[in-house]
Amino acid sequence: MSLITPLALLAAAIVGPFIVAMYLLKLRREERTVSSTFLWQRMVRDVEANAPWQKLRRNLLLLLQLLLMLLLVLALARPYLAAQGISGRNLIIIIDHSASMGATDEPPTRLHAARERAYQLIDQLPDGGRATVIATGGRMEVPAAATSDRRELRRAVERIQLSNGGSSDLSQALTLAAALAAREEDSEVAIISDGNVTLPTNLRVPARVSYFPVGRATENMAVSAIALQPGTTGQTLFVQVTNYGQASATHRLDLYLDGAIFNAYNLTIEAGRDQSLIIELPPQVEVVEARLDGADAMPADDRAFAVSPATEATTVRLVTAGNRFLETGLSLLPGLNVVTVPAATTTFTETVAQVPVTILDGVALPELPPGNLLFINPLRSTAYFSVTGTIEFPQVRPASGEDPMLRNVSLSEVSVLKAARIVPGNWGRVAVLSFDLHESDLPLQIAFPLLLSNLMNFLAPGSGAEAAQLTPSQPLSRQMDATITEVRVTRPDGRTVSSRSGEVQIQAGQAIYADTDALGIYTVEELVGDSVVGRHRYAVNLFAPGESRIATQRDLSIPQTSGASSTVSRERDSRQEFWRLVALIALIVLLVEWLVYQRNGLAYLRERWRQRAGDRQSPLRS
Amino acid sequence: MNQRASEPLLESAFLRQLDRLALVLRRPMAGDIQGERRSPRRGSSVEFADFRPYARGDDIRQIDWNLYARAERFYLKLFVAEEELNVHLLVDTSASMDWGAPNKLHYARELAAAYGYIALANLDRVSVTAFGAGPGALQLPGVRGKRGAVPLFAFLQRLQPGKHGDLAQACHRYIQSARATGPLLLCSDLLDAGWKDALSALASRPFEITVMHILAPQELEPDLEGDLKLIDVESGAPVEISANLDLMRRYKAHLAAWRGEIESFCNGRGIIYVPVDTSVPVEEFVLGRMRRRGVLR
Repeated sequence: MSLITPLALLAAAIVGPFIVAMYLLKLRREERTVSSTFLWQRMVRDVEANAPWQKLRRNLLLLLQLLLMLLLVLALARPYLAAQGISGRNLIIIIDHSASMGATDEPPTRLHAARERAYQLIDQLPDGGRATVIATGGRMEVPAAATSDRRELRRAVERIQLSNGGSSDLSQALTLAAALAAREEDSEVAIISDGNVTLPTNLRVPARVSYFPVGRATENMAVSAIALQPGTTGQTLFVQVTNYGQASATHRLDLYLDGAIFNAYNLTIEAGRDQSLIIELPPQVEVVEARLDGADAMPADDRAFAVSPATEATTVRLVTAGNRFLETGLSLLPGLNVVTVPAATTTFTETVAQVPVTILDGVALPELPPGNLLFINPLRSTAYFSVTGTIEFPQVRPASGEDPMLRNVSLSEVSVLKAARIVPGNWGRVAVLSFDLHESDLPLQIAFPLLLSNLMNFLAPGSGAEAAQLTPSQPLSRQMDATITEVRVTRPDGRTVSSRSGEVQIQAGQAIYADTDALGIYTVEELVGDSVVGRHRYAVNLFAPGESRIATQRDLSIPQTSGASSTVSRERDSRQEFWRLVALIALIVLLVEWLVYQRNGLAYLRERWRQRAGDRQSPLRS
Repeated sequence: MNQRASEPLLESAFLRQLDRLALVLRRPMAGDIQGERRSPRRGSSVEFADFRPYARGDDIRQIDWNLYARAERFYLKLFVAEEELNVHLLVDTSASMDWGAPNKLHYARELAAAYGYIALANLDRVSVTAFGAGPGALQLPGVRGKRGAVPLFAFLQRLQPGKHGDLAQACHRYIQSARATGPLLLCSDLLDAGWKDALSALASRPFEITVMHILAPQELEPDLEGDLKLIDVESGAPVEISANLDLMRRYKAHLAAWRGEIESFCNGRGIIYVPVDTSVPVEEFVLGRMRRRGVLR
């Protein structure tokens, strides 16, 4: 314990003797003449038997007053404890609320522990200091911006909820924090996370960054993939279980078909390895749930759901002068019905509901067909973009973040000879491959079918086997007939939302439901009037290896302007002042002192009360 | 109390009520001269007491001739003698008595006056002794008859509080000097370490003793609070106390025990113990409680 203003202790040296002197003056007792001290003398003889205690009691008031004075002086001296924490006056708290923060190794969850830590930091905020709360992981939120109102800050932290969707990407939050920190002196960034985050490489934070790790557990086993495919006689279920921990572990995998237990498998998996199961299932099964049994630090990834894929195929119109790569690739995708149209065709009569996607491979049409479009090697500008020239040997680089269209697609070895220079314009649900597939080695790589699958999922959502599986927070979208009047979504928690209340949106022939953060089965019902005409199930699973690796990082390497890149906070960094506590104790002592002073009156009141209680009882007795 | 010196000690209406009262005696007491009280002696009254065989020298006028006719022997018929009583009033005038509201000494004066007046109204002899003012006791030698009420009241009203009185010593001296026994009324607060000695000294002669234990309400229920230094009005000895409810409760318990001790001491020696609270008006006390206690009737 140390003091911020130790000079205040001098006050004790001044006030203390003063109190004692006043007390000594007060000790001269009031004299009272009585008829005789004969009775009193005999009494006092009894009293003197326990004289030391009596003496102390007589001085109790003095002792209490001195204690009160000392406490007040101590409070004035502003004592503090060196604590792990922050010292800046402009604090930016970044709280990770990604799925891995839902691990239960810090009961009840890591997010709770993170909140507690954030409360501590807010309490440590020096008087007049301001703080900003940023929630990252999934969608970034700033629930409290540069406020010194501790209550508001606490409320903001309290409101942060777990988010299953998205990744633990700190870039955005750190960029914002850096911008905020640059504006003010004496800033400090506090990151409360389990450390399983993506860090920006090219950012230098102009403030001190302290990292407060949350979490202890390292062991976690997860259902990392699940798929249900129609087979020849029945359906084939594919389940992959991965051990993300650091030691070999054995867990039982329970399979539930439409809610009833089907089978259980004991899986022993080495650290970092996975194990796959391929199981034949009867054709009528609609929903499969794979559940890992046993206590696990992270329950969110222990369950996965798969639904039987939609049987009807989505029609895709391919306008091409002939492209074998494309035709082969599309024919491999399940649930797609590819209609090849000669490049000379100029008018299209089918509606969006009949043909939702058109692929324009190296053709230029005077009038674009309705529905979602994939342009490959566009020849000239369209309503969606402008073609301004060509690029020779363009570098192919994935966009930052995890674009669902580039999921599992590796572009590192793709070479392109020539591509169109494209200025994006008014995007709809449109994708553009700006180069001719024949002038690239992309079709020869594994990335091609994956990219094609992703593109089809993007352009024709609700089709194919992949379509029935969503990642958390990925909007659930489905092509709708114009006749559908209402769309109802039953969430995993049993709540039903409807397009009538606006929670499910219908736009341009698509029903979109965005609140898919909760894991589980979502059932979409299409209604015409009051009758259900279609029912489709979607499974939302947390297949996020980054989140399932729950081992806490002890340090984050973030370059700071001071030159350091370690973010381990040090013990002496923070001053945890506790003069409020001391003042509170002083207040209690003051109360006790007053009670002691008034003890006669209190005893008298108690006597009266007892008498009255006795009076009230006595009539009953008689 | 000087301001009361001019007022009559007792109201005339009260005195008229006192006329109807008489002292209660548990046994006959011998007096000096003829009066209206039964005496242990035989004498001339209308009340028959006993027969006695005639002895030579007896007055033959007292021979009961009817009995001689029956028994053919001479018997004397004896009658109860009626004599006056010697009523002793002892008033403690030590400084501790001059305290309290209502004042204890004044209360003692009034009690003594009332008791004395009742005795005078019954043609008894009343003598008053006040002690407490130093070694010499102030005495009013016997007065008799209702005329004696005037000097009695005057004497009582003249009484001034003394300094430090030794109760036991004064009682010893009084017992030695008192001539005739009779009803004895001691008006004191007994706030003296020698109260036991004093009472046993009085009880050593066949007086009919009544102790009026006079205490002021301030002594019965002291209204003290805080850290105090109590000064004894007689000796000036200080006692330091920290008065609180607990101490008050213990004081009261102590006081009750002390009074109980005096009472049992008195009962053991045939002394009538009457506790007196000066907050009770003296008229009510004399007409009510003293009659109930069997001191008056």
